[in-house]
Amino acid sequence: MTEQRTQESPGDGVSTINYALAINHAMAEEMRRDSRVWILGQDVGRMGGVFGVTRGLLDEFGPLRVRDTAINETFIVGAAAGAAMTGTIPIAELQFADFMLIAGDEIFGKLAKWRYMHGGKLSLPAVVRVPTGLLGGVGAEHSQSLEVLGMHFPGVKVALPSTPADAKGLLKSAIRDPNPVLFFEHKGLYRVKGEVPDDPEFLVPFGVAAVRRRGDALTVIATGMMVDRTLAAADVLAREGHEVEVIDPRTLVPLDMETILESVQRTGRAMIVHEAVRTAGAGAEIASRIHEELFFALDAPVWRLGAIDTPIPQDPELEQLCIPQVPGIVEAMRGLIAL
Amino acid sequence: MASSAPRKRAATVITEVDATRATDLYRTVARIRAAELVLQRHITEHGFGGFWHPGLGQEGVQAGAVAALRTDDYMFIAHRGLGYALAKGMSLESLFGDLFARTVGSTGGKGGGTVHFVDPERGVLGQGGAIGSSFVLGAGAAISGQMLGTDRVCAIFFGDGASSRGTWHESALQASVWKLPIVWICENNGWAVSARISEQSPTENIADRASAYGVPGVIVDGQDAIAVFDAVTEAVDRARAGHGPTLIEAKTMRIRGHYEGDRQKYRDDLLVGDEIPRDPLGILREHVPASVADQLDDDARHEAESVLASVLEAPRADPSIIYKDVWS
Repeated sequence: MTEQRTQESPGDGVSTINYALAINHAMAEEMRRDSRVWILGQDVGRMGGVFGVTRGLLDEFGPLRVRDTAINETFIVGAAAGAAMTGTIPIAELQFADFMLIAGDEIFGKLAKWRYMHGGKLSLPAVVRVPTGLLGGVGAEHSQSLEVLGMHFPGVKVALPSTPADAKGLLKSAIRDPNPVLFFEHKGLYRVKGEVPDDPEFLVPFGVAAVRRRGDALTVIATGMMVDRTLAAADVLAREGHEVEVIDPRTLVPLDMETILESVQRTGRAMIVHEAVRTAGAGAEIASRIHEELFFALDAPVWRLGAIDTPIPQDPELEQLCIPQVPGIVEAMRGLIAL
Repeated sequence: MASSAPRKRAATVITEVDATRATDLYRTVARIRAAELVLQRHITEHGFGGFWHPGLGQEGVQAGAVAALRTDDYMFIAHRGLGYALAKGMSLESLFGDLFARTVGSTGGKGGGTVHFVDPERGVLGQGGAIGSSFVLGAGAAISGQMLGTDRVCAIFFGDGASSRGTWHESALQASVWKLPIVWICENNGWAVSARISEQSPTENIADRASAYGVPGVIVDGQDAIAVFDAVTEAVDRARAGHGPTLIEAKTMRIRGHYEGDRQKYRDDLLVGDEIPRDPLGILREHVPASVADQLDDDARHEAESVLASVLEAPRADPSIIYKDVWS
C-alpha cells in the first residue's frame, strides 16, 4: 500500500485488515443490521469460501442465511434473483467471475432486466460477488476480467474495488442498494492489507471516483489490481519530473466521468490501464467519451493499456506477460507525455 | 412414495362441497376460454404487434392449479395464455392492456404482445423469456418465503419443452435437498414448438424423473380441472407443511400453433384446428347445472368482449416510458 492510497487517517476506529476480511466484515455487519440479508454459493458455509471470504459467517448466522449450494451457478444467481424480487437481499458468491457466463441469463436477462420489463413492479436488490483477474496459474477459464459485460447490459451496477477500505465500503453500499450489483473482487488483492474504518455506517458511494494521486502531466484511469501498478509507475515518472494524476473509478456503473473529464481538462493527456482485454474493454468506452467531450482540450490521443487478445495461459510467469506490468506502464506514460 | 414410479390420480368422486368448487372452476375456465377466443379472433382479423402464444385447451390446468393456491402464494407462469394470471386475480383489463401495450396494462404500457405480466401483491411473479428460467427464480422466491417466516408456497408452471433445460436439473436437486416449498406443474401438451415430446424425452412421462430427485411425481389429466385442483392441493399442503417439492405432470394438448399465426406445417396430428377434444368445459359441465354453465359462458363472453373493446380505446404510453424503471 502506498501512502496515497490510505483514505482515512490511522487512529481510533480504524483497523488494518486485508481485502478479504474487509469484505467479510461488510457482509457480517450488514447481516447483523438487516435480517433479510443472506448468502448462497458453493462452499461458502462450512469451508468459508474457496478464498476464505465468508469464514465464520455460517457459525454466526446459521445454515438458513449462509447456504452451501451444489455446483450450480445458474441456480445460485437465479435463486438470488427470485429471492430479491420477493423481499430478501441475497449475496450470491460465484467462485470465479468467469462463471458469470454460466449464469448469463440470470444476471443479464433477469437481474438486469426484470424491473424494466415489468414496469417497475419488481425490485432486484441482489449482490453477485465474483472473484476476478489473475491469481497465478489458475488458467484461462478462471482468470478473466469481464467487468465490461456489466457496462454493456443496462440494469446492473458494477463495482471494482482496489483497496480493503473500498472493498468494505462499496460492498456495504451494494447490499443496501435496491438495484442488482456485480461486485468484482480481485483475487490478487485478497491478501493485501490496508486501513479500514470500523464504523458500521462506513459506506463508499457508487459513482464517485477516487483520485489516488494528484498530478498535472497526465491523467491515468486505472482499475482493480492495475491501480497499484499504475501508482508504482507514477512514482517512477515523479522521479523524472512528471507528476501523473491517477484516478480509480471504483465503480464502472455508474461511472464518474465528471472527475475524469475534470482531470483530463487540466492535464490534456489521458490513458486507461485495465487488466481486461484491451479490445472492447471498459477503456475503449472511457477513451471514446473523453474524445467526444474533450477533443479540443487534448494534447494527444487517449491511450489504452490492457490484456492482449489471447486467452490467459496457465503458467504463472506467462500469464503476467498478457497484462500490463509496471515497466510497460512506465514506458507508455513516458511515450504519451512526450507526444 | 418418492422412490416409486409416478402416481396416476384416479377420477375424483364429487361431493356437495366439490359441486361449488366445480362451479367456481367452470367460471374461471370459461373466463380464460372467452379471453383466448376473443384474442384469437382479434389477431386473425386485425393482426397484432407481437406474438401471442395461445393456451386454448389448456385452461383446465391453469384454472385447477391456481385455485389450489392462496392469493399470497407465489407463482411463475408459463407462456401459453393468460389463464394463470387471470385465475390468480389479475384483472382482464391489466392483462389485455399488456398485450396491446396500453397504459392500463400491468406494465403501464411497456408490455405488448408477450406474456410478461406481474402482480407481486397477488404473487404473480412473471414468466421467463428464456424458457425454463423460472425454475431457478421460483426456488429463490420459495427461499424468501421461508426466510421471511411465512408459509407461502411457490408454484412453477412449465411446459414439456422447458423440462429439458439444465435449470430444471439444478433446481430440482437443490430444492429437494433443501425441502423448499415448491410445486412444479408441468403442462405436457406434447409439443415444444415443432418438437414432439418423444423426440425430447426417453421416458413417456416427465413425472417419471421425479424419483431421481427424491420428490413425489404425480400424473393427472390436465383436461379435468377438478383432478388438477385435487393433485395440486395435495402438493401445496405437502410443501406448506415443510415436506418439500412435488412434480405434477398434467397431460394436456396444444390446440393452436406455437404462436397465433403459426401454420404448423411440421404437425400431422389431428388436433390442429379449433376443436378441443376432452374440452375442460365439457368435463366440468358434468358437475355444473346446464343453466348455470350457460350463464357463466355468457358472462365470460361479455366480459372478454367489453374489456377488449375498452382496452383498445385506452391510450398508449408516452414514448418517454422507454427510459423508465431501469433502476430502482
